[in-house]
Amino acid sequence: MELLTNLTINGLATGMLIFLLAAGLTLIFGLMDVLNFAHGGLFAWGAYSSVWFYALTDSFVLAILGAILTGVILGFITEKLIIKPVYGNHVQQILITLGFMLVLTEMLKVVFGPNQIAVRTPENLVGSWEIGDVIIIKYRVFIIIVGFLVFGIFQYILKKTKIGLIVRAGVLNKEMVQTLGINIKNVFLYVFIAGASLAAIGGALFAPYSGVIYAEMGMEYAILGFIVVVIGGMGSFPGSLLAAILVGLVGSYMAYYVPSLSLAVNMIIMAIVLIFRPQGLFRAKG
Amino acid sequence: MNTLLKVDGVHTHIKQYHILQGISFEAIEGQVSVLLGRNGAGKTTTLKTILGLTPASQGRITFRDIDITKKPTHGIANTGIGYVPEDQGIFASLTVEENMKVAMRKEDEATLAKREYILDLFPDLKTFWKKDGGLLSGGQKQMLAMARAFVGNSKLLLIDEPSKGLAPIVIEKVMEAILDMKKHTTIVLVEQNFIMASRIGDTYTLIDNGETVQSGLMQELIHDEQVKRKYLGIG
Amino acid sequence: MTSKYQWNNIFLSIMVIALFIFPFVTDSRTWTILLTQIFIFSILAMSYDILLGYTGIVSFGHAMFFGMGAYTTAVMLDRIEPTIGVFVLSIATGMLITGIISFIVGLLTLRLKSHFFAMLTLALSGLFLVLAEKWRSVTSGNDGFTFRAPEFFKDRMMFYLVVLVCMVVVYFVLRRFVQSPLGHVLVAVRENEQRTKSLGYNTLHYKVIASVVAGVVASLAGSLYAISLRFVNTSVLTMDITLDALLMTIIGGVGTLIGPIIGAGVIELSQHFLSGLAKDYPIFERWIIFFGILYILVVIFFPSGIVGTIRQAFHKRKKQSVGKEEQSNSEEL
Ligand SMILES: Nc1ncnc2c1ncn2[C@@H]1O[C@H](COP(=O)(O)OP(=O)(O)O)[C@@H](O)[C@H]1O
Ligand SMILES: [Mg+2]
Repeated sequence: MELLTNLTINGLATGMLIFLLAAGLTLIFGLMDVLNFAHGGLFAWGAYSSVWFYALTDSFVLAILGAILTGVILGFITEKLIIKPVYGNHVQQILITLGFMLVLTEMLKVVFGPNQIAVRTPENLVGSWEIGDVIIIKYRVFIIIVGFLVFGIFQYILKKTKIGLIVRAGVLNKEMVQTLGINIKNVFLYVFIAGASLAAIGGALFAPYSGVIYAEMGMEYAILGFIVVVIGGMGSFPGSLLAAILVGLVGSYMAYYVPSLSLAVNMIIMAIVLIFRPQGLFRAKG
Repeated sequence: MNTLLKVDGVHTHIKQYHILQGISFEAIEGQVSVLLGRNGAGKTTTLKTILGLTPASQGRITFRDIDITKKPTHGIANTGIGYVPEDQGIFASLTVEENMKVAMRKEDEATLAKREYILDLFPDLKTFWKKDGGLLSGGQKQMLAMARAFVGNSKLLLIDEPSKGLAPIVIEKVMEAILDMKKHTTIVLVEQNFIMASRIGDTYTLIDNGETVQSGLMQELIHDEQVKRKYLGIG
Repeated sequence: MTSKYQWNNIFLSIMVIALFIFPFVTDSRTWTILLTQIFIFSILAMSYDILLGYTGIVSFGHAMFFGMGAYTTAVMLDRIEPTIGVFVLSIATGMLITGIISFIVGLLTLRLKSHFFAMLTLALSGLFLVLAEKWRSVTSGNDGFTFRAPEFFKDRMMFYLVVLVCMVVVYFVLRRFVQSPLGHVLVAVRENEQRTKSLGYNTLHYKVIASVVAGVVASLAGSLYAISLRFVNTSVLTMDITLDALLMTIIGGVGTLIGPIIGAGVIELSQHFLSGLAKDYPIFERWIIFFGILYILVVIFFPSGIVGTIRQAFHKRKKQSVGKEEQSNSEEL
């Protein structure tokens, strides 16, 4: 019982982190038809910058805000310099975003040093609750709550606001949106920045969770993000939440019961989904 | 008589193809100008070029005395041009209400009044207000597309083959609606159905192989059997 | 067409002759090893060019095939005996295995759109990496194992010459391949897959053929690579290998075959040079940044790479001087 609870909470927490990464990927793909292979780099930069801000300010809230700021700046730069020149050309997009991923990863090593960095959990989130004989680690619950909160906020924006409406319309038909007088380029930029910030928040939350950060974490988690985007259905925001939870839970259970297969299983799920149901598990229409 | 839109010697390339090779015509304020021509003549491309979706490589397009030839699509739309594409371009998983809302730049009195007016013209849309656009019938989609373009405060509507694929009775409704909308806006209409075109058009422009062949009053064309046979395969 | 290859042929002949003479006039061990390395990666990059340059496919899993070749050769030399016979047999075996695997993988994945394909290949090669790490009885996992190379290759120069011959042969074979009617269909797929399909070609079949050819050649490169190190571990299956092939192909010039060779030279030489500089300037330990930036600039501004850009300039000049309309031959992305 205790084991199962812990594995589940663990899986949910990991799932939320992956969701934060995948949410941006899926939105950017749905709206802009761009698969950003540099997205994991934004996640890693979020982690590093939050640790840096935390050391500076000793406040976890400011650390997260710092990560968001980093996400906004990097998102802006990435969209303007890297993505914009290659809209519409898939091969170039794949190539250039991958190249940028390399640069982002190496830049981390230049700025913060090549070695991994140990991270402390913020004071007020350290510790655990005991419920009967089940021990629940506070920080993991915190991640889960933040994950759902972010999902709720974004879902609200998408469903209830004008900009959200335009984004949803843009996912369906970009050309039409433009003929209705909307500058889709601006919308692209906003969405990209939002996606980058989500990834940065994910990275910031990841740092105390894993206790250590390293430059390659970007690519590692990006692969999980891709898996989630595929399983959830490219462009589907709720789909990415469900898929992220699935991937997180599978990873967590497998890591305990069949550790050697934990990553492989998720990859196999993705391969099967891609081959047999390329529109994703959680999306009805193609 | 006031010229609202002027297309002057326009050429358009799509990739390596030279699609439009000299299109010229004018749309007079308050009138319906019809673009005629057989399939593949370049009518749709003409509308898309006006909107900047396939920008002109040569020539000049002016709207309300503003040169819009080089403007981006959204900028052109914002000078007051609305577009009803051949495939209607309905946002399938957005409701009728949301489809309209995307087009409404403001939600002021004037826009809401326009919406009221157009919904009275197409009561079906009111009935299915909360239904997904993708679930509407062909005729209802056409109405939604027209209503959506109209509500965006457009001074000019570009409507591409609204009768395509519709039952005769629905065509009749759409035609009535266009005649009614004409009281409030100027219309450039692409129409293959010559009966419909001749009934609602004030002027016509005949396009063939990406070129303007001739323009004139619709009344004159109705009696010009030779031109009709040669370019439209009718009469 | 002819003029392009004439130019190529002259250039190539001079290069090849110079390279054959090279080990006889100098006995620099460093240079022999470095050049050998360049040749091996040229083979890998040329195989990648078949995918990226000629067929317009971005695969993130090419290391998979390179690694299979490397492991096959290493395991066979280690388990059977380190002779030339076994070496040749191991190359053939590696090619057969990669041929079969790339065929199956291609059939399953190549119907996907570019984004999905790229991701799936990324995941699959990740899977193979995990497999190699876990299958310790054969691969010795992450630590890898050393093995003895055939006696014949004890002389670095002999190995140098063998690899050089391999590279030249691969170049000519692949050139024939891309100039064949089949190769022309591949280019048509790259230019417009939908249109090629509507002309009645089963584009999936052609893409699978391209991926098998690329896989088999990559396996050869892997086999040679294993011999050059006399050691193999899971690093031959990592993304870094794929990235190297990608960088070399893009920087040298996609869809040119000669470009990837030049790209391999440029990258290996500057890598060697830059990591030399790292002793004095630590920033050069991060030489990958320079490649990353260079690569991004190339993708945006010179999508046809070094060779492609030179060819375009050459053609423009010729076009101007001759003044006749000639379809540009230079293959772009
Ligand atoms: N994206 C495109 N690429 C290539 N050719 C096109 C494209 N769009 C239209 N065409 C060609 O341009 C010509 C005019 O098309 P269109 O404007 O749709 O004609 P119409 O609306 O009069 O039937 C046709 O021959 C069509 O094949
Ligand atoms: Mg048309």
